Amino acid sequence: MAAQLVRKAFSSAVPMARRYSSEVRTVTLIPGDGIGPEISAAVQKIFAAAEVPIQWEPVDVTPVRGPDGMFGIPQAAIDSVNKHKVGLKGPLMTPIGKGHRSLNLALRKEFNLYANVRPCRSLEGYKTLYDDVDVITIRENTEGEYSGIEHEIVDGVVQSIKLITEEASRRVAEFAFQYTKENNRSKVTAVHKANIMRMSDGLFLHCCREVAEKYPDVKFEEKYLDTVCLSMVQDPRQYDVLVMPNLYGDILSDMCAGLVGGLGLTPSGNIGLNGALFESVHGTAPDIAGKDLANPTALLLSACMMLQHMNLPTHAEKIQKACFETIKESKFRTGDLGGSAKCSEFTNEICRKIAG
Amino acid sequence: MASRITCRILPLLKTSNVSQLTFHRTTTSASAYDLQHKNPFAKKVIAIPKAEYGGRHSVTMLPGGGIGPELMNYVREVFRYAGVPVDFEECPIDPQSDGNEDLEYAITSIRRNGVGLKGNIETRSLSRGILSRNVALRNELDLFVNVIHCKSYPGVKSRHQNIDVMLIRQNTEGEYAMLEHESVPGVVESMKIVTAENSERVIRYAFDYAVKHGRKKVTTIHKANIMKLSDGLFLETSKRVAKDYSGIEHDHMIIDNCCMQLVSNPHQFDVMVMTNLYGTIVSNVLCGLIGGAGLISGRNYGDHYAVFEPGTRNTGTAIAGKNIANPVSMLNAAVDMLDHLGHSKHASLISQAIDKTINEDHVHTPDLGGQATSIDVVQTIVKHIQDLTKDKNWSLN
Repeated sequence: MAAQLVRKAFSSAVPMARRYSSEVRTVTLIPGDGIGPEISAAVQKIFAAAEVPIQWEPVDVTPVRGPDGMFGIPQAAIDSVNKHKVGLKGPLMTPIGKGHRSLNLALRKEFNLYANVRPCRSLEGYKTLYDDVDVITIRENTEGEYSGIEHEIVDGVVQSIKLITEEASRRVAEFAFQYTKENNRSKVTAVHKANIMRMSDGLFLHCCREVAEKYPDVKFEEKYLDTVCLSMVQDPRQYDVLVMPNLYGDILSDMCAGLVGGLGLTPSGNIGLNGALFESVHGTAPDIAGKDLANPTALLLSACMMLQHMNLPTHAEKIQKACFETIKESKFRTGDLGGSAKCSEFTNEICRKIAG
Repeated sequence: MASRITCRILPLLKTSNVSQLTFHRTTTSASAYDLQHKNPFAKKVIAIPKAEYGGRHSVTMLPGGGIGPELMNYVREVFRYAGVPVDFEECPIDPQSDGNEDLEYAITSIRRNGVGLKGNIETRSLSRGILSRNVALRNELDLFVNVIHCKSYPGVKSRHQNIDVMLIRQNTEGEYAMLEHESVPGVVESMKIVTAENSERVIRYAFDYAVKHGRKKVTTIHKANIMKLSDGLFLETSKRVAKDYSGIEHDHMIIDNCCMQLVSNPHQFDVMVMTNLYGTIVSNVLCGLIGGAGLISGRNYGDHYAVFEPGTRNTGTAIAGKNIANPVSMLNAAVDMLDHLGHSKHASLISQAIDKTINEDHVHTPDLGGQATSIDVVQTIVKHIQDLTKDKNWSLN
């Protein structure tokens, strides 16, 4: 189902080989910084235990100085993802206020990843103040407030430009409705602030409305950002799929992650024109790096999303089930979930469940 | 191209050293001529005028749309029973009209009275040129700071108890500058403006407020890792101003992390200061955590004027006229206004009555999970006012 979606999203210029589930596919792996390497190793181990027909190609995305003097992603990484079309990424470090552009942003621009999907589901066995959360946030990933266009007009006056284009808005709206249909969801809510930013969010809304007309069996509603914030913390069950421009999406998806237990448990996928990149969205946690204390759940669930995308649903469900059961049993929980197990113990338990 | 410009400007910024530019708000009674020609940085700050005729204050009332008019009626009713010496000058604004005469009349009225009480103004005109009237009002009157005190009510059931966070947000610029244009068909640009002067004003206000009310920590909320220049400027300004207030702890947090922390542990925040859009988000999240949009009031302050309104600025069109709107937010705004005008006895009287109604009698409208109507709430408040004034044998001296 997701593979059909991916095929529609790809341009037809590159003919894709038919995917047989017995064929071993290569996936680019970006371990990342901090706890990245250890959780990537955990995921690789679990996938090996589940005998998933995937082989990994690790690459390094530390920025290098290009021929024009600007820092950029090394060409080897770009080639790898372009060739394999699917990637899994660990956490990357973004320094605040330095001269480099954010690495995450650069990756998104490079691979034209236009939609970010983040499903937030309450985990059984890990109690938060909110039960029954089941929200998917889809955010536009390339433009909006994160276009990176800023200038200082006069001393002391800074201007940052928020860019909204019809093309990008339409693309992400199409993706949202298709995803809703493929995953048997019922309602799409467009989140905006068109009462204040009339032209920009107005354009976004206009595109969403146009696309909504093409999908009459999916319910569509539009809500102001403040209303959504207010009602989301009171009763998250009233929302199903949310689609929104970049900044609101960033904040709301993090807030929804907070409702289910934090970024350490939330998967995330970025769908693009030239491929898809699945990532864990938590930080690099330099304080626990290398100490075998990290929680690989986020990266693992993202990897399962990736398997769904690559049309390997049986493996995805097997691994997911094992992971959820381990968390539910609460015998082997890592420190962030309130337990005391090590990362390796958690991983081994999941492998055991898959095998046994 | 933009990055080339940025590269050229950043070194200039470093050398010009924004911290050396001082924006002293010297309170001066110098004449306008002197101000303009001799010391352009000093702004003539006069005390907020409070129009008082015959011992009674005159306050502008903007009912706005949706639930605004009915809530204003409740305010008048409660004021009547409490014997509050305040007269309202009502300025209705027609939502459908394309012109701005109503709004300009309202602005003139606020300039005359100095103080206003407002609901959320609807701007239903469909033409793209008409800007949001609420934002236009704030920008015109230079109400640069919005203060929302998010305090839990013990009587309202919510997931977190005992929240007590002060939210201070920049009110006139940032993402709400409303400067948009369509450069090419299908490509719209919206500009977010952050100025050093306005940021400094708001941040100083936050720290002064913290000192005045015995608060311990000020947190700056930003997204400077992505918007390096604009939010970076706000963050740098706050770090610089923090050095002047050694008794107050200062830290900063990125907005997405902040939202996550708010839903799991809102008690770690004390005073929060931020730009316009993040203020909307955080205030709505906090109000949601406390129990809904119907409880908290917001205060907009400028150098010369003060306007009070319900905290979450909802029009409430869906519940208008159905007698289920929660009047507490507007009544709290009215209480804040009375405090500002100096009628502290009346203010505390009404505030006590509201407290008793919500916490002891549990008369809750549907948004708080109860079954009462708005009129029930207002009548209970009025009853408490009558009881309190009877008991105390209370006089104005």
